[in-house]
Amino acid sequence: VDESSKSAVPQSHPLEHSWTFWFDNPSVKSKQTTWGSSLRPVFTFSTVEEFWSLYNNMRHPSKLAPGADFYCFKHNIEPKWEDPICANGGKWTMTFPKDKSDKSWLYTLLALIGEQFDHGDEICGAVVNIRGKQERISIWTKNASNKAAQVSIGKQWKELLDYNNSIGFIIHEDAMKLDKNAKNAYTA
Amino acid sequence: DSCSNTEKKYSRDFLLKFADLCTALPEGFDVSPDIANALIFAYMGASHHEHDSY
Repeated sequence: VDESSKSAVPQSHPLEHSWTFWFDNPSVKSKQTTWGSSLRPVFTFSTVEEFWSLYNNMRHPSKLAPGADFYCFKHNIEPKWEDPICANGGKWTMTFPKDKSDKSWLYTLLALIGEQFDHGDEICGAVVNIRGKQERISIWTKNASNKAAQVSIGKQWKELLDYNNSIGFIIHEDAMKLDKNAKNAYTA
Repeated sequence: DSCSNTEKKYSRDFLLKFADLCTALPEGFDVSPDIANALIFAYMGASHHEHDSY
């Protein structure tokens, strides 16, 4: 049986946006000094079926190596502060104990590609950062100054994931200037 | 509820119905070996019994 025929289901379900998975590989990252130089686009998808074809074959956060960063961003938006669409934005972040972010990562992806946010136009994409002691999931947005939209996204995201802790929104520009000392611009 | 207005909105439950139907990598999937090794769960034919259940 040719398994590949399954991914070419005749009646596919188009998504509102095309999305691109990006991966930053820790094994390469350690050898290179410039941030982002090991960041690579993996695949762009635009249907529900393509999403699952990729997701079902990719390691989930708990199976990725510490140091790995895995992104899902709207097509044509690069997951970098310097990207013109991200430059004035910021991010909401949730933190999870080690190996506890798989379901939240999936639910975040499904909420993004299924356009479940009232201010979905404000969203650039999401990233999961795998670190030694924890995993972090962030949603990047476009216009940090639009408080109402940011707070709406933060609140909806918590509801969708049933996440009870307080979450903070950091403006990219603050993070660039102050690094870890950047303060939350908003909380939800 | 999959096609209200012009926006293609899909609920989580609706999207999850397709999870088990699409198991093969999409046609044209081609990444460098270092990314494949780090990221692809069942690269080139290995089974993936570790699939999480939701």
